[in-house]
Amino acid sequence: MIIKKMRRIVPILVMASTFLPGWGATFYLSFNQHSTQNLFQTRDAVSDQISAFSLAIDQDFSALSLIAKAEYSAFREASGLSFFAADLGLDYLVPAGRKSALYFAAGVAGQFYRQTYEPFSSLGANLLGAFKTYLAPSSIMKVQWQGAYAVYKDPLFDYLSQTASLSVDKYFPSRTTLKADAEWGYKYFLHPFLPEPVEAAPATMLMSGGGTGGQGQPGTGGGGTGSGWGGQGYQGGSGFMPRYSSAGGGAGIGHVSASLLAAQGIGDAVGLSASAVRQWVVAGENPFLSIEEFYFVQNPSADSFSWEGHQLNGRITLAFPWDVSLKTGYTYSDKTYPGVESLGADGLPLGLLRNDRRNLLEARLQKDFRRFSVFLAYSHVDNTSTDPLFVWKSHFIMGGFEWNLPTGRKGGV
Amino acid sequence: MRSMVMLLPLLVALAVVPATGQVPGHFYNVDTEIGIEATVREIVLEPRYKGTAPFLVLRVEESGTAKAFDVEIAPSWFFGQDVHGGEKVKIVGSLTEAPGTKPTIIARELKLRGETFKLRDKRGFPSWQGGPQRKRGIRRFGRT
Repeated sequence: MIIKKMRRIVPILVMASTFLPGWGATFYLSFNQHSTQNLFQTRDAVSDQISAFSLAIDQDFSALSLIAKAEYSAFREASGLSFFAADLGLDYLVPAGRKSALYFAAGVAGQFYRQTYEPFSSLGANLLGAFKTYLAPSSIMKVQWQGAYAVYKDPLFDYLSQTASLSVDKYFPSRTTLKADAEWGYKYFLHPFLPEPVEAAPATMLMSGGGTGGQGQPGTGGGGTGSGWGGQGYQGGSGFMPRYSSAGGGAGIGHVSASLLAAQGIGDAVGLSASAVRQWVVAGENPFLSIEEFYFVQNPSADSFSWEGHQLNGRITLAFPWDVSLKTGYTYSDKTYPGVESLGADGLPLGLLRNDRRNLLEARLQKDFRRFSVFLAYSHVDNTSTDPLFVWKSHFIMGGFEWNLPTGRKGGV
Repeated sequence: MRSMVMLLPLLVALAVVPATGQVPGHFYNVDTEIGIEATVREIVLEPRYKGTAPFLVLRVEESGTAKAFDVEIAPSWFFGQDVHGGEKVKIVGSLTEAPGTKPTIIARELKLRGETFKLRDKRGFPSWQGGPQRKRGIRRFGRT
């Protein structure tokens, strides 16, 4: 279906790029096909195939730029996860002398799901401010602040968040780059608790099950028994579990992190890098009793705010003749989710915070042509967890192309 | 017949594009395209074209000849990529040399740290993308 739509859209874009040369906009078109053996990333693997199509338009007005992007992703089996997403953003670059600049960006974004996954549908806004300066020709300092606000169809997930970061790097004549980064972040869920049921129990009740979007039942939510966002017949996920609270109100989780990166160039064709990140949760905890992480789907309960621990990464980039490149990487992560209990196969708490250790191998082969790129990517994940539901291994394969159609003036810009 | 209908806009585009959009003076001239290996000496942000954001410009020194060039990269690269003084680069681009001025290369391709960055297509049309806000993509493993 997407292919048919593209056959209609592409000629229109080509015509637009031809006859609007003074407009100066660039169209970006991409089509990706994904294949996953484990869509919901749990012990109960569910295969699926995803076709993702996106169209973006980028237009500069002096130092101000406008970007609009629309995406549609179709899930073959879990069709309820098919979603449409749209972004609209403005950014502005302000020089501050010859060696420094300020960058500001503002945007709005929406994601719209169907059927049982409609609780994930959201509208949001974000702001970004950054300052970059050359301390010396071989050393760069960057300071950045980002704020975001999002409202969801299920208001449990509504949040405000902000992050601030500082990084400094240094390039050495040995072609080595060292970079240190520090970050602070805080995410505040505006009303993440369900009102306490009449005959219910303690303020922080485990295994409350269900949530507003699912069909879960108390006491069965953790076992992958068919409850959760997917409703009846849902084979993945844990059955999302919010907390009950008579007090209501919001809840936040804050972290600080430090990271180091070393990169080394070897000859013209090889780039190596190694990085390490350590993150600590310094305020609050996850307000939800479960964390869900679906392939290719943004889950509001699982993101960079939800964990503490460390992550190690190694990466090799190889540039071959004929504009072919290969990027491979390995990542090991050890993440603990404060506030999230590990549950046994019987759905009862094990008395341990959920901790996941993950080995991830990634490879991406890309060939660039004049106007477009084609690529093939592969990932393998081996995840162990203190919660038996999240002990899983899987392969992910993705292929696709990305195409840009400039309508800009030839030459300068 | 349907295939021909689909192909028609493409053929029209190929026929028309080379004749449109030229601006006089400072422009990408494929006839003066050169490739050099160089060392970055300085990185500056300079206004280059009326009505556009300032450009990231690399002051480089060609390996072997020590000849100095200014290399125009792109308007948003100042935030998108980190280029350092002392880094070795390979540049393919259009050379413009006016009397009394430093030779300037409008970069089409930049090889840096084993990666190749395509800044323009082979006819000089820009293909750079915007700043950090535009780096959104699909959620990848290992990023959360």
